[in-house]
Amino acid sequence: MSGLLHFSEHTLQEAALIFMAIVYTLRLRWLLRFKAGRERQAPTGLPETSKARGIIYSWANIAMPWAMESTRTKVFVYVQFVVFHLGVAASIALSFIIPYVPKLLELSFFVRIFQIIIGTAFLVGILRIIRRVKSVYLRAISAPDDYFSLALLTSWFFLAFLSVPNSTAGGEWHLIAFFLLTAFFLIYVPFSKISHYLYYPFARYYFGKTMGHRGVYPIKHFPEIRR
Amino acid sequence: MSDSPARSQKAQKVLERFAKKLNRQMVGSLLACVHCGMCTDACHYVLANPGDPTFAPAYKADQVRRIFKRHFDWTGRVFPWWVKAKSVYSDDDLEQLKDIIFGKCTNCRRCSINCPMGVDFATFNRMARGLLVSVGVMPEGVAVASKDQWELGNQMGVLREDYLETLDWVSEELRQELGDPNAGIPIDVMNCDVVYAINPREIKYDPRTIADAAKIFHLAGENWTMPSEGWDMTNFGLFSGDDDLGGAVARRLYDKVEELRGKKLVISECGHGYRSTRCEGQNWGGVDVDFEMESSVITMLRYIKEGRIRIDPFKNNKSYTYHDSCNNARSCGLFEEPRELLQIVCNDFREMYPNRAENYCCTGGGGAMSMSEYSAQRLKSAKIKADQLKATGAKVVVTSCHNCVDGLTDLIRYYKLGMEVMQLVNLVANAAIVKEKVTAALP
Ligand code: SF4
Ligand code: SF4
Repeated sequence: MSGLLHFSEHTLQEAALIFMAIVYTLRLRWLLRFKAGRERQAPTGLPETSKARGIIYSWANIAMPWAMESTRTKVFVYVQFVVFHLGVAASIALSFIIPYVPKLLELSFFVRIFQIIIGTAFLVGILRIIRRVKSVYLRAISAPDDYFSLALLTSWFFLAFLSVPNSTAGGEWHLIAFFLLTAFFLIYVPFSKISHYLYYPFARYYFGKTMGHRGVYPIKHFPEIRR
Repeated sequence: MSDSPARSQKAQKVLERFAKKLNRQMVGSLLACVHCGMCTDACHYVLANPGDPTFAPAYKADQVRRIFKRHFDWTGRVFPWWVKAKSVYSDDDLEQLKDIIFGKCTNCRRCSINCPMGVDFATFNRMARGLLVSVGVMPEGVAVASKDQWELGNQMGVLREDYLETLDWVSEELRQELGDPNAGIPIDVMNCDVVYAINPREIKYDPRTIADAAKIFHLAGENWTMPSEGWDMTNFGLFSGDDDLGGAVARRLYDKVEELRGKKLVISECGHGYRSTRCEGQNWGGVDVDFEMESSVITMLRYIKEGRIRIDPFKNNKSYTYHDSCNNARSCGLFEEPRELLQIVCNDFREMYPNRAENYCCTGGGGAMSMSEYSAQRLKSAKIKADQLKATGAKVVVTSCHNCVDGLTDLIRYYKLGMEVMQLVNLVANAAIVKEKVTAALP
């Protein structure tokens, strides 16, 4: 292993992780400085709804494609979402496995599973880029950050896919590139749309609380859609 | 908060107030959007204007979000172009924003329940409306209704004499209809079990609904009253985003109920009135109330279940469908009770799809009926609702909202659907059996 690869796998990642942790802590402190609105009124709706159930339902929504018309009627987009995020999880895991538990990657089935997940996520990334460029609606709401983040994640999947076997037989460049990009992500993410994973539990918590208190969540009755 | 070029006074005020209006929920919604576009098809404006991205919920939301990003988000402050952050500078910028947040959205919350990230656009759209209203930028109709509600205590400028006179002749007619000299509308009676509050539209255009409600209370043997002042349960603060107006209007009604020492406030069928009075007013006004509040739909259903009124469903012999008001269904969870009631009072109920919390707006929500400058746009977007209504094959669409009555009537005329619009109170009163008069409340 070259000095550059060792530096990228360890020192650089650790420094980037510390940076991200500091930035996120600051961000959370900033977010919590805003006061939370209060609902004074007595609850409305059916007895099986409540704030707590609304919150749980709201958080669980992401795993219940039938719960929203938007996911219920766009199953292919929902599947893409799942695969894409599994790819993110697998690639993050890989960035820890390679430096700290490389033995796992000596198991060929493990390598296969990771390559299938990350490889499919890469293909979904390509589809998502095409969709964002082609759709008049998505183009209208997209900022440079949206395109850049998507393109970068897709490239990261590609490098992760190549890095899964943790082999330097054909050279180290793919591993170095994967770790450099991982470090870049750790630094860039808090400033980009990718930081949505930090905010969305908040948004969903409060939305679920409101809708639960108002008797809307959990939705029990999913109407048949006839358009 | 300095920014170049020079900023108009109004724009400056909007920015200053923006900072004060932000709470954690709102900031969460402003930050969490990933521009995935999943909410796009949820909006009736988009469906009626295919290919025009300016109607997309996320696009409309971004017109507010970009101001937030420019002034509060670190990336937007340093590299605004990277995240499309942009401030407002001129009065023209505010006018353009007005046309989007008032003219292209009814705050129906349908996109909110379809956003995987939990972004509640309707809530921060209302906040943005409030910011513009605070500097006098709003549709003319919103300004007029708000002024009437501040000055006269009701949004339609109904004078006290006209209100009392209407209740008087409604009482007289009810006595004649029931042949009962004790029937009528008790005004300002202390210590009643029910204080009934209405929408000024009922006085001005639809007194039949007051007569029907009075008939039901009378037949149920209810110990009820209507207030002579502070009787308007509607609240233009919900539409204009003006929390001060919202709080003042709600408190006026709460204070009246407390003054009369009423045990329960019953709110006549009106989506935005119910939401404002029952679900938002205490928050806007910063008050807690000691009495119960309920929709008249729940009251009527209870009377039937308790046997206080008896029903002959054959008296309502047409085919009926039900339109859920957005404020009732998506913001207050009132969607099962009206269905239960409707199925008791008629024999031919046909469900509309989608329904309940997923129903489409009547397209007159969010105060849209008062914004005549956007009428053409509103009626075009009403195509979605028109198709929904048509598909039911019903002759009558029933709704529990005065605003929806107007919105639906308008679109039914425009799309020549030949349907009738009614409220549940009309059907319950029509189906109520009058012969055996109930004279006292059951225990
Ligand atoms: S509001 Fe929600 S559904 Fe719409 S684009 Fe943003 S994240 Fe996606
Ligand atoms: S709140 Fe309703 S009208 Fe407004 S953007 Fe969302 S879906 Fe469209």
